[in-house]
Amino acid sequence: MMKKFMDRFRKKGRQDVRMWHEHPMKPAYDAVIVGGGLHGLAAAYYLGRDHGMTDVAVIERRYIGYGGSGRNTSIVRSNQRSKENIPLYDEGLKLWPELIGELDFNLMFFNCGNLNLAHSEAEAAGLKMTVATAQIMGVRSEFLNARECKELVPHLDITHRPRYPIYGGMYHPPGGTVRHDAVVWALARGADRLGIHIHQLTEVEDILVEKGKVTGVKTDKGTIRTPLVLNAAGGYSPTVSTMVGIDLPVTVLPLQALVSEPLKPFLHHVVSSGRYHAYASQSLKGEIVTGAHMDPWPSYTTHVTAHYMKHQAEALMDLMPCLRGARFMRIWGGLTDMTPDMAPIVSDSPIGGFYLDCGWGYFGFKSAPITGRYMARWIATGNCPEILKPFSLRRYRNYNLQRETAAVMYYTPWN
Amino acid sequence: MSFLLTCPNCGPRNIYEFRFGGEVKTRPDENTVSAEDWADYVYLSKNVCGVQKEWWYHAKGCGTWFAVERDTRDNLPVVKEENEG
Amino acid sequence: MTPRLPESPTQRISRENELLFFYRGKPFKGLEGDTIATALYSNGVRIFSRSMKYHRPRGLYNLDGYSSHCLVTVDGEPNVRGCATPLRQGMWVTPQNVLGSPRWDLMGLMQFFSFAMPVGFYYKAFHKPSWVWPFAQAVIRRAAGLGRIDPEMPEGVYQNRYYNCEVCIIGGGLAGMEAALAAAEGGVRVILLERRDHLGGDLAYRVTRSNEGIPPYRRAAMLAEAVSACENVTVLLCTSATAIYQSNHVTAVKRGGAGDPYRETYLEVRARSVVVATGAIERPLLFSNNDLPGIMQGSCAHRLARVYGIKPGNRMVVSGCHDGMLEMAADLAELGIEIVAVADGRSSGFDTELISNLHRKGIPFLPGTMARKAIGFKRLKGVQLAPTFGNGRKRWYSCDVLAASAGEAPLSQLLQVAGAKMAYDSAAGQFLPGEFPPGIHAAGKVTAARGEETIAAQGKLAGLMALQDLGLGRTSHIRQVREILDVIEKRPAGRHWTAPPVGSRKCFLCFDEDVTTDQVRDAIDQGFDQSELVKRYTAVGTGPSQSYLSGTNLPLLLADQRGLEPGAVLPTTVRPPVFPTSLAALGGRRYTSSKRTPLHEKQAQLGACFRLTGVWERAGSFADAGLSQEVENVRKNVGFIDVSTLGKFRLFGRDAVKLLNRVYAGNMETVTEGRLKYAAMCNEQGVIIDDGVVTRMGESDYFFTTSSLRAGNTLEWLAFHSKEEDWEAHLVNLTDAMAAVNLAGPRSREVLARLVDADCSNEVFPYMAVRRMKLCGEVDALVMRVGFVGELSFEIHVPASYGAALQDALLDAGKPYCIRPFGLDAQSVLRLEKGHVIIGTDTDNHSTLHDIGLSWAWDRKKAGNQTVGAPALRFTETQKHRQKLVGFTMNEAFRTPSDGSIVVADGTVKGRVTSSRFSPTLGRSIGLALVDPDLAVMGGTLEFYTDGRLNRKGLPEIKTFRGTIVPVPFYDPEGKRLRG
Repeated sequence: MMKKFMDRFRKKGRQDVRMWHEHPMKPAYDAVIVGGGLHGLAAAYYLGRDHGMTDVAVIERRYIGYGGSGRNTSIVRSNQRSKENIPLYDEGLKLWPELIGELDFNLMFFNCGNLNLAHSEAEAAGLKMTVATAQIMGVRSEFLNARECKELVPHLDITHRPRYPIYGGMYHPPGGTVRHDAVVWALARGADRLGIHIHQLTEVEDILVEKGKVTGVKTDKGTIRTPLVLNAAGGYSPTVSTMVGIDLPVTVLPLQALVSEPLKPFLHHVVSSGRYHAYASQSLKGEIVTGAHMDPWPSYTTHVTAHYMKHQAEALMDLMPCLRGARFMRIWGGLTDMTPDMAPIVSDSPIGGFYLDCGWGYFGFKSAPITGRYMARWIATGNCPEILKPFSLRRYRNYNLQRETAAVMYYTPWN
Repeated sequence: MSFLLTCPNCGPRNIYEFRFGGEVKTRPDENTVSAEDWADYVYLSKNVCGVQKEWWYHAKGCGTWFAVERDTRDNLPVVKEENEG
Repeated sequence: MTPRLPESPTQRISRENELLFFYRGKPFKGLEGDTIATALYSNGVRIFSRSMKYHRPRGLYNLDGYSSHCLVTVDGEPNVRGCATPLRQGMWVTPQNVLGSPRWDLMGLMQFFSFAMPVGFYYKAFHKPSWVWPFAQAVIRRAAGLGRIDPEMPEGVYQNRYYNCEVCIIGGGLAGMEAALAAAEGGVRVILLERRDHLGGDLAYRVTRSNEGIPPYRRAAMLAEAVSACENVTVLLCTSATAIYQSNHVTAVKRGGAGDPYRETYLEVRARSVVVATGAIERPLLFSNNDLPGIMQGSCAHRLARVYGIKPGNRMVVSGCHDGMLEMAADLAELGIEIVAVADGRSSGFDTELISNLHRKGIPFLPGTMARKAIGFKRLKGVQLAPTFGNGRKRWYSCDVLAASAGEAPLSQLLQVAGAKMAYDSAAGQFLPGEFPPGIHAAGKVTAARGEETIAAQGKLAGLMALQDLGLGRTSHIRQVREILDVIEKRPAGRHWTAPPVGSRKCFLCFDEDVTTDQVRDAIDQGFDQSELVKRYTAVGTGPSQSYLSGTNLPLLLADQRGLEPGAVLPTTVRPPVFPTSLAALGGRRYTSSKRTPLHEKQAQLGACFRLTGVWERAGSFADAGLSQEVENVRKNVGFIDVSTLGKFRLFGRDAVKLLNRVYAGNMETVTEGRLKYAAMCNEQGVIIDDGVVTRMGESDYFFTTSSLRAGNTLEWLAFHSKEEDWEAHLVNLTDAMAAVNLAGPRSREVLARLVDADCSNEVFPYMAVRRMKLCGEVDALVMRVGFVGELSFEIHVPASYGAALQDALLDAGKPYCIRPFGLDAQSVLRLEKGHVIIGTDTDNHSTLHDIGLSWAWDRKKAGNQTVGAPALRFTETQKHRQKLVGFTMNEAFRTPSDGSIVVADGTVKGRVTSSRFSPTLGRSIGLALVDPDLAVMGGTLEFYTDGRLNRKGLPEIKTFRGTIVPVPFYDPEGKRLRG
């Protein structure tokens, strides 16, 4: 029994223990996925698993999970605002347990629930609308008043001391956190075992198009012939789209996140506040993981600023004064491909064989496996699954945007 | 990073005093533009990974709009476009 | 407290001033000048903490806060670096991460199971069957973390400081001080940041003369004196730099000490030029049990003895790779500590004078040898020394202290944060920073410089280079220093250790996360073969000591394991803050700011309950009245509300009307003097973003208002279009310069008439007219007849300084008519009864003018103005999918769907209620909703759902209620009252 238990993770003789392998690049693949992040790896995995498409290459400029997949704050939830978005995230949330078993990798799903705070009557109304929508759609969410919020998270300050006193909050029990890096590795292993090639340290330089159809991908390690390309390049998805002449309704904004030194567990939920532009949870290691708002200008740097560290400290201490004794240990930045309606672009495109899985902004982690699964179905069968229809690129030209946010976007003067 | 941007009125100032005002685009003629072209103008961005020309507004300062060229790969302004407020 | 060593000039303790402190609840004594760690050490405490994962005992390792070994909780503050925190009288110190005490830690059993926890253990266990995980997770979680957050921790006083200077120097050692002196010569403002409480760096505790003459500590003192004497140099001690951001933006934390009222100060320094002279750190030697209490860095042992007068132990073995270790060994022998043996991993490149020093003292010196194994359980018992390369003779030595290091590594973290690239320098055997961003210089050991004179010359050069950045450099000086640097003899550094001996166990690469070299090997086997991947998989270098201790060893080990040259694998990215920064320090003193209107105090006197809306504090309601009383009084008598928060602008200049036509949907050419025009503003998507009224004050001279929350954006918005077109239009923001009150109700005309000399009759002053009037015979007022609340009403604008007087005058004049104030809550009901929308409440980022029934506010014939959003208004006008704003009354008269209710049909969401209130005037509940087009039919039924509580099964009880779509306005549809 003990031996069997140990064998699960111990190196045994000459058995190959590599999570994924390096392969020579083939001159042609059935499909090429640009971007070795979660969305790309998930699509690759499901192409192989569900559709037997294993002649697939995932091209990654750095190493897998280098971008947003390894930089996010690992929160999963399905408490979105609009009825078009909820089903995808809801299915995504329910997929984790299945995925953990199937990939035989502990993704450390911590089902702690999320609490979104409201700091005024108007914000409370917005959250109550989201709660009502969730309840109608069968997703568990509940509005709590300030006292109930404090019962849930005893360290919250519900007095009038904070700049924005807490008015109430939306509690979403099904949410939590998942160890993001683990998902990357597990999907990579899953894809690798199906025979899919992962090419790290390979940069896509151009995408070849003939007569309105994709014919190949030019990389710094050679050119690949392929009729299908999926753009899952996250922050660089506009750059990749530009290669086939498509501009995207996307603005690439840098986003910063921080962790504190490890502390004994005291925060047992994900707490967030839109007003303070701050959210925090405590990792299994005991670090407070917290994210800030995006810098409101486009940039391809993952630079960080003193501004956000200070802002974040002020915000967290207002919400939970006991955090004054914590110390920030690390701040890092990532790129978010933000769309004007805060909903993704999961779509085909005017170029035949060129698919888009981007515009995921700062919310791409929670939805990655499920989107990959449906995207794979679309690529393999050529038919758009019903659940993905709202995320078409065409919605912008139809003046029919998603209702994921009510607030008017502010980062261009025309909005 | 907390880079500096040079306001034509106030000189180099902390970037957080400014508001980004979008890529410099040309507005299509309102009378002849098609619905698709207008949507493209409104929603699409070039997202240049390199030098791009863009508008900035000194919001927490003198209130000047100005256009600069900035390299989105390192956030460094390249050439100052205009001088007067 | 054990007796200290005899006094020596390098000591920084005050033997007269004993300090009482508490450790684990028991009283202890230390000396002024001690850190928490040295005070504990002098009291015989050897185990300070337990490691995070395996709960292995950890003792003193470093004295600058670079290791997690010494983390303790002090007065409720967790994770305090005991080795770098000065002892204070009465401190309450508790150990962390122990069940029991650090010596007898129940969780210590964990280390015996470490064999069962190979790399990536958590990823491969507890997930099958799936019900196991929640339990396992609870157990893991309970054991996680180090210090404990204490809500009772005293608030303390913290502050933020912002500095500007020409040259910022980080590090007050030899190089830093020389740089400061050189830069100060230029007459510019210099700021020197030093993390310890004194200048001097390693010179300050070293006594061994080099060839040139005076002892290092004397030299340090002389330089420190010279630096302090410079008027243009600000020295900040106890200050750890935390980052260098782009544009030479330096951040730091200053630890409060004696005479500093602040517990911590967070500072930002904007410098034109930065010199980094942070020195070097000893990188850990990798051998079995290299984490046992009793194993410490050489400089730690040296400083214990020389600075704090504490004997590190009785029998000491030294295993080093750089000259500092040799000097330390001889110096400690001088102080009476038995040095059993001195091993050096190098076989050549030593300072021969230091070796003859050891020989003179009879200390065995073993070149080409290093520690391979340590034994002991809770403290070090003995060390095995073995040849660095090959299988030579192994020898055991019993000892209680081992000073071990694999050589020095530059403290280049700040430079890396600033953007420097690391590259392996095989001559130095170190990764060295290069490719500095503009205005950043480095000097001293951070560049692997060795020897006092080289370091001094480098410091001077860096100071001169910084001056050169400012255009003050003298090339001749720089050339001179360069020549000196060229002349100084460069001794070969000798061959460096790059990999650990094979087959060692419990050989810790990262002390924080208990990552051993075996685990790194396993990780490589599994495909995690780059530093960043190993870091993520094993968590190496992600603990409180960051990459200070493991940063160099990780890439070297990786390269070695993969059979690559050292340097083929690069260190991981360094992330700020390079010194963990407390949230309290970052937050500083709490400030909250909000805007108050000129009537604020007066409104408060009337019992106003204020709330924050946007930047403004506004009266929501008045304490003595109920909401319906406030509403009814406006409908029956007269009320007034403070609307000073409205955006108020004057726009004048040749192109003023062009600009108005650009941003407003209506035709602004038709605005005339004395008349108001309602104007709506859209964005390029045709979505309404603001509204207000516009009037003409003279030739090309306009006055307009915006909603309260949009004033700032509108200013930007108009300025942008004016700039883009290069129009001559001058915008004056009068928002804060003017107070405004809306006087509303059937008796409002009578009240106004008592205050002004003018004719206020409907004929002379009709609806949507505007007049300049003299209030009370002396105050210039602009009076507008508008009707947001749906009654006869006048908006009175006066200079802000008259705002308070205006309220008094209104109350006085209105007394016979039962005037009373009303707040936002009442206004919200009143305007809803009239069917007036609030932009942003009843609209969202999809609502075009058409969708909310304001199509009339768009003048489609207005040509040639490139009106913002006009094309989108054209294209969306006939679209079929758009949600529409409709008015409804409730079928149950007293049932009000609360804000945030949604509209449902056939179990799906079809829209949302934007505002709904009980109308005292109509005696029933009314509201507005944005609904899908198929529901937007007059007379149609709407089904509402308000969020409910979840029952035990986690399900809500879905109960809906109904309303009927009716025409809007609900109240006074003909507008008789408005216009009467």
